[in-house]
Amino acid sequence: MAPRMLWPTMEPQDADTGLMLRYRDGDTAAFAALYAHYKGPLYRYLLRHVRNAGAAADLFQEVWSHLIATRARYEPRAKFATFLFHIAHNCAIDFFRRDLNLRRALPAHDPDSPPLEPEVPEHQRPDRLAEFVEQQSALLAAVAALPQEQREAFLLREESGLSLEEIARVTDVPVETAKSRLRYAIRKLKDALRPIQEPEALQLRTYA
Amino acid sequence: MPDERMPDELDEYLRGGSALSSQYKRDSSPQPPHTLDRLVLEAAQPVSRETKKSFKSQSLAPLAFAFSVLLSLALVLAIIFGPQARKPEDKPQVMRVRMFQSEPPRAALVSVRERNPAAWLADITALRRAGRHAEADVQMRRFRSAYPDYVIPISQ
Repeated sequence: MAPRMLWPTMEPQDADTGLMLRYRDGDTAAFAALYAHYKGPLYRYLLRHVRNAGAAADLFQEVWSHLIATRARYEPRAKFATFLFHIAHNCAIDFFRRDLNLRRALPAHDPDSPPLEPEVPEHQRPDRLAEFVEQQSALLAAVAALPQEQREAFLLREESGLSLEEIARVTDVPVETAKSRLRYAIRKLKDALRPIQEPEALQLRTYA
Repeated sequence: MPDERMPDELDEYLRGGSALSSQYKRDSSPQPPHTLDRLVLEAAQPVSRETKKSFKSQSLAPLAFAFSVLLSLALVLAIIFGPQARKPEDKPQVMRVRMFQSEPPRAALVSVRERNPAAWLADITALRRAGRHAEADVQMRRFRSAYPDYVIPISQ
């Protein structure tokens, strides 16, 4: 799905936008710099958003391929991060749509069998989480458990540093909607971490 | 249901430096596999255009040179052995020599042989009577070629 990037206002160029302009004009070293800066955040955003390592890798490649293929038409209308994560958002939306269709096509899940687990990287699998710091594991698990829109708002904020307005642009929703999603995400994450951060409070609640 | 603490939480979070943010950023380990790095960076190279350009400049030049050499050679061969290079009399001359070296042309022999020897000799006599001795001599030589064993009367 081609990203919709018809944003009317020209914003001040950031350094990364300058790099993208240089790449558009043929400077591949500029692309290498962009890639080095954004590959981690973009990969983690996709990985933790779609919760499927294989799909994340495919989407990661798809996002960059789209950027490369359309570089000649690139016009700076927003921060580069907004541009990049908007492509990623659209690719992820397409993935969820395909994934939903696939799940509908699959036979119904047996209620007596163990619940389906999202496919996550080895180090994030529940049986491996004990190897990680407890809080960190709990946070990642809580992020994975967030509703899709809230999870995306949180990941966009954390991985790309986008503002609320930019998150709204990337996800094609009003600012208030983006704000609400982020607000609920933060609250749920804090609630999920509270028993670990404040074990005595959990014990008090347990024995109360 | 609105919660009074939510705006504070969000504002604190958006200001940056929240405990939640700090904790999340502690784990920045997941990175794309190196194979993805390689694929993306290779895709970003203007491979198709520049490689094609270099391919053209590097491989087409010798190809063009070889083609020129072949073309020149073909041209030279065409000049030497082509039909335009032959002089019209070359082949007939050779043929003529071979014909005379071997035997008289059969067709010519047949046509000459078909002429009645007595009538031919009468024509030669008539030529001599008319004083056209050169022509009579030519005809006589031809007659002898055609009928080498013909006994000519003394009067001829």
